Amino acid sequence: MSTATDEKVLVIPKIENGIVIDHIPAGLGVRVLDVLRTWPGLDQEIVTLACNLQSTRMGRKDMIKLWVPDLPNRLVEHICLVSPGATVKRIEGYRVAHRWVAVSPAEIRDLARCRNPACVTNHERDAHTRFEAIDDAHRRFRCAFCERVFALEELELVLT
Amino acid sequence: MVTKDLLSAQDLSLEDLQRYLALAERVEATPAAERLRLLPGRILATLFYEPSTRTRLSFDSAMHRLGGSVLGFSGPEATSVSKGETVRDTVRTVENYADIIVIRHPREGSARIAAEAARVPVINAGDGANQHPTQTLLDLYTIRKFLGRLSDLRIALVGDLKYSRTVHSLFRALNLFGGVEFVLVSPPTLTLPGHLKTPGHAFTETTQLEGALSTCDIVYMTRIQRERFPDPVDYEKVKDAYRLEAWMLEGARPHCRVLHPLPRVNEIAPDVDSTPFSGYFEQVAHGVTVRQAILLLHLGVWS
Repeated sequence: MSTATDEKVLVIPKIENGIVIDHIPAGLGVRVLDVLRTWPGLDQEIVTLACNLQSTRMGRKDMIKLWVPDLPNRLVEHICLVSPGATVKRIEGYRVAHRWVAVSPAEIRDLARCRNPACVTNHERDAHTRFEAIDDAHRRFRCAFCERVFALEELELVLT
Repeated sequence: MVTKDLLSAQDLSLEDLQRYLALAERVEATPAAERLRLLPGRILATLFYEPSTRTRLSFDSAMHRLGGSVLGFSGPEATSVSKGETVRDTVRTVENYADIIVIRHPREGSARIAAEAARVPVINAGDGANQHPTQTLLDLYTIRKFLGRLSDLRIALVGDLKYSRTVHSLFRALNLFGGVEFVLVSPPTLTLPGHLKTPGHAFTETTQLEGALSTCDIVYMTRIQRERFPDPVDYEKVKDAYRLEAWMLEGARPHCRVLHPLPRVNEIAPDVDSTPFSGYFEQVAHGVTVRQAILLLHLGVWS
């Protein structure tokens, strides 16, 4: 039978070396995991997802820990799209060696597909995609080609 | 700043619009014989992936009047497109045959994807429901020709305000000139999309055409386009919502003009043609003038 302290350890054990994605808005952890799952580098590694943790700043939050030394850039860019505001920390020897906040970019290149079925990028072979933010918060984006406007969460990510 | 290509009315500032209009005036002021010497030896390629008689012929005419020549295709059947060639590959091939490319394609964004692949200037002559900037420029030029100004005027936009790209572009562009009041006349199902109604637009919305006719300087009619409707039943309900007839213009302002991007179906009765209010065939003529200005500017012959 486990005690409360044991549970705490089991749910979110400290990691010696790895990546912690913290401050994910509650409920979005699974989406971030969907992004991470596309990376073959994670196949043999330990990954933990904790949902609905208490947070003084956010009320509830999700958190992911990865037993990997680093993340490919493309994954980090995708995390910025799925969960802007999340904190990504690289842990070395139980200490935070590097810490940055995922920021929604002003421009999204080749990371997402246009939702407009009539958009040329959905028909032209190997077409690049590009979305440009039209608001200061980078939450609404215009497809550079068909000029349709989408909310960030409406964009369909191209994960591979 | 006018760039290599003309792709979207959305890209054009007030200054850009004025530049095109000023060049169109200059075209009109240039004697025909002199104009013929402006683009000798230059070649325009018209890539029309879907049929469009008037836009293509208008560009052909503009190029011929400037002494240049034209090649191209109309309809994808006879071309490598039917073999599955991408727009980018077609453009990279055609730019070796021509100095400037005009493209119409049913997919939205095709002109921009073409322009990013091409070294030569690309002019968008319609990319599906998205943009048709040369139409916007000729509409502005026509209004200014009739009224002598583009600000402080009252214009009725009539018909399909939901899907008509012509209306969307004109609504935005005219507002840049200031002091323009719009009367938006449409069936309830085809009203102008909310995201276009930015603060600073002065407009009223109505379903009644009659009331708008006596107070406006310009009445801009549009065709309700069957191909834009997902459901044919919806189209049948509204297709003949507005039909302008000569008697309806009896109370119109003397200088009022009726415009239409053409082709018309039933929106304007033939008896309007012989009234002093009809402006749509002159609009066609201005289209050739404006497209000459566009060719001259984007080929770098005029600035």
